[in-house]
Amino acid sequence: MKRRPPISRRTFLKLTATVAAGAALAGCTPKQNSSLPTETAATGATPTVLPSATAGVIATETTPAETTPAGPNPTETASNPEPSPTTGPAYLAVTHGPDPARLTRAAIDALGGMASFVSSGFDVIIKPNICTDYHPPEYASTTNPIVVGTLVSMCLEAGAKRVRVMDYPFGGTPQSAYEISGIAQAVEAAGGEMHIMSRPKYTRVDIPQGKDLTKVEIYPDILEADLLINVPIAKHHGSTRLTLGCKNLMGVILDRNLMHTNLSQRIADLTSLVRPALTVVDAVRILTNHGPTGGDLADVKQLDTVIASRDIVAADSYATTLFGLTGADIGYIPASAELGLGTMDLSNINIQEINLG
Amino acid sequence: MSWNGWRRVRQSVQILFFAFYIYLIFAVVQQRVAPPLASPNIFFRLDPLSAIGAMLASRQWIPKLGLALATIGLTIIIGRVWCGWICPLGSLLEWVSFRKARKRAVSISPRWRLVKYFLLATSLAAALFGGLTLLVLDPIAIFTRTLTTAILPAIFYAVNSIETALYHLNFLIPVLDGFEGLVRGTVLPVEQPAFTQSLAIAALFFGLIALNLLAHRFWCRYLCPLGALLGLLSKVSLFRPLIGSACTECTRCAIVCKPGAVDTTPANFHIMPSECTVCLDCLVNCKPADISFKFSLKPAPRQEFDLSRRQALGALTTGAAGVLLLGTDLRLRQDNPWRIRPPGVTDEDTFLSACLRCSQCMKICPTAALQPALTEAGLAGLWTPLVVPRVGYCDYGCTACGQVCPSGAIPRLPLEEKRLAVIGKASIDHNRCLPWASGVPCIVCEEMCPTPQKSIRLEEAQVVDSSGQTSTVQRPSVLRDLCIGCGICEHDCPLEGVAAIRVYNA
Repeated sequence: MKRRPPISRRTFLKLTATVAAGAALAGCTPKQNSSLPTETAATGATPTVLPSATAGVIATETTPAETTPAGPNPTETASNPEPSPTTGPAYLAVTHGPDPARLTRAAIDALGGMASFVSSGFDVIIKPNICTDYHPPEYASTTNPIVVGTLVSMCLEAGAKRVRVMDYPFGGTPQSAYEISGIAQAVEAAGGEMHIMSRPKYTRVDIPQGKDLTKVEIYPDILEADLLINVPIAKHHGSTRLTLGCKNLMGVILDRNLMHTNLSQRIADLTSLVRPALTVVDAVRILTNHGPTGGDLADVKQLDTVIASRDIVAADSYATTLFGLTGADIGYIPASAELGLGTMDLSNINIQEINLG
Repeated sequence: MSWNGWRRVRQSVQILFFAFYIYLIFAVVQQRVAPPLASPNIFFRLDPLSAIGAMLASRQWIPKLGLALATIGLTIIIGRVWCGWICPLGSLLEWVSFRKARKRAVSISPRWRLVKYFLLATSLAAALFGGLTLLVLDPIAIFTRTLTTAILPAIFYAVNSIETALYHLNFLIPVLDGFEGLVRGTVLPVEQPAFTQSLAIAALFFGLIALNLLAHRFWCRYLCPLGALLGLLSKVSLFRPLIGSACTECTRCAIVCKPGAVDTTPANFHIMPSECTVCLDCLVNCKPADISFKFSLKPAPRQEFDLSRRQALGALTTGAAGVLLLGTDLRLRQDNPWRIRPPGVTDEDTFLSACLRCSQCMKICPTAALQPALTEAGLAGLWTPLVVPRVGYCDYGCTACGQVCPSGAIPRLPLEEKRLAVIGKASIDHNRCLPWASGVPCIVCEEMCPTPQKSIRLEEAQVVDSSGQTSTVQRPSVLRDLCIGCGICEHDCPLEGVAAIRVYNA
């Protein structure tokens, strides 16, 4: 007996063709390239103070001097970073004390409070350094979980709609690295979510300011978030000597091999694209040798310090002093300063040092 | 309950076991932690062919595989329940049925069934002499290996490709993000796995399914060595389907029997316990309703396809000769530099006589570093796991392969011990390494090296580049005594093609 098929071959083909044509039409709608930094800056700048990003995009390439972050005042675009009066919010805050949560809160408060970064309904991304799943946080190879957890709480308190925490480890899977680092537990306790950066979503974008690296495949959410907080841990690194804020941004791109020739310049180029509005350097524990992976407690130094600034270059530059170095010693810091991404010179910025003994 | 009710129970149990098997497959996709519910290797631990083979070959009682006694016990009580109720490959082969298969099967002589007994005898003889190569034909291993190396990667590839395409449609992004949040890292691995020889492995599997065109459950009838083992045990099973005196020899039972277990020879009309998969279809379809499971202590009669003494000796000789031939293959005997075994494996012969070729380690390895071997250990080591660092590195924070290995061929090491287990040694090719050969700065191998003291040392050197400029670069050298051969240096070496730092078998 011959069974009749539910629909004829012709009907099936017709249906398929219609659906395919529909999909093709839908696919032809011009894709808003929302990953371009212009839009990020534009959306980000409306509700809150994002001086460097706004200035940077307007003044692309022509006058790098003008793009120097000018502290919390968005109108200020002097060619030299004008130190704010010592009474106002700090340009860079450094806190010392035994409690990482208090250190973090005090540092952000000194910059003007989380409310100066987060408006109600913000979609926030926090990018810690979760480089491997090898060691728990005591080994100082991944960012302190309490610092990250506190930042999540502060963002939510300031009205953020959602706070996601993400990194792409080079050793182990994200799931295991999130867990071993203690960050997953801290973030979830604070009400944030751990996010896995999935490969199908990466997008190729141009780096308008890039000197050497001009295109890169990047996780687009990083560029689209209302606020990106960069939370590196200060630690040793074989070629750049230290991995800090700018270097931490390598976690948001797919192909890290392409970074390794001319590393310092390319890190600076990448920084010009990503431009986190806030950098918090975790120096509660620092790794002084055998970084970035670590594994020997003898290389770990307890400094009980947190550094925060809107200026990623200044934050990095200050962090080098914890290792007895200066910003000029770490290739990507002068390279980033050169691109107008911030100030390396710590002598004429408003640094507030707070002791929470 | 009526026989029809029991048949429904069987079908449900079959679906449940199949679903459970697939769940376990997905649950341990590239994850370091064992899934909730049972241990992921439960099907292998219940598999008596793997258990007997591994215990014979490694000459020891392997407690983990002792669970196979449960299957043996069950078979001795009511026959090949494993084949008809549990075995996921058997279920699949039962569900894939072709209309013309029954007619075609009639023209296949039942004598072909002896192939599976011959395979079984050869496998066990080889195991007795320390060779487990034929376990590549274990049904659970075939299914798991195919899912691991071919079907799962293909599914992941399809999902990733579709997502990549759909991410271009802005209005779909929230939907895709939601989907990603649900499945990425749990069901879908973060890194797309890829395996060597996936095509050959898939060809074997789909070939077996295609054989169903010739007869229902062709593999189970004629080829499966595990089925043969359980068939032999079923010959003495306590309960077995017996045809009563009301039989009119209408052959309805023979027509519905998927494995073709009814011997319809007049005067000897009976159901062969060794071929019966306890599917109960005959009991339901018997017109006089006179087939039932009855207690019997009498061993089942000899069949024409049972191995004769001569054939059994032939199988034994084949097994032994095979072990000798494979064992003297130069590729196995010489120290192959690319034969890098999973962490904790020290002796090649010991490993080969315990590895079940089950590929569970390849499935769970979070970096897909473990790849099926072709001839790196001679044909004797076909489809055993090899570390291929350029594909994936051995994660310094991971012990998954040792945890999931059913036979202990990869030892289950605590993390501290696994971190000291040397799987190979890295060495640098100065003619290719960027700082050594071209004066180009690069320290990726040192950066990636996970050992606490870094097994790669950087030394500064003055170099003159092509334009005559002098500069300082850092040159890497391996500290051999510290290197554990995890291979992350080779994996991440930015040099195109073959890495300038490679891990060799040590």
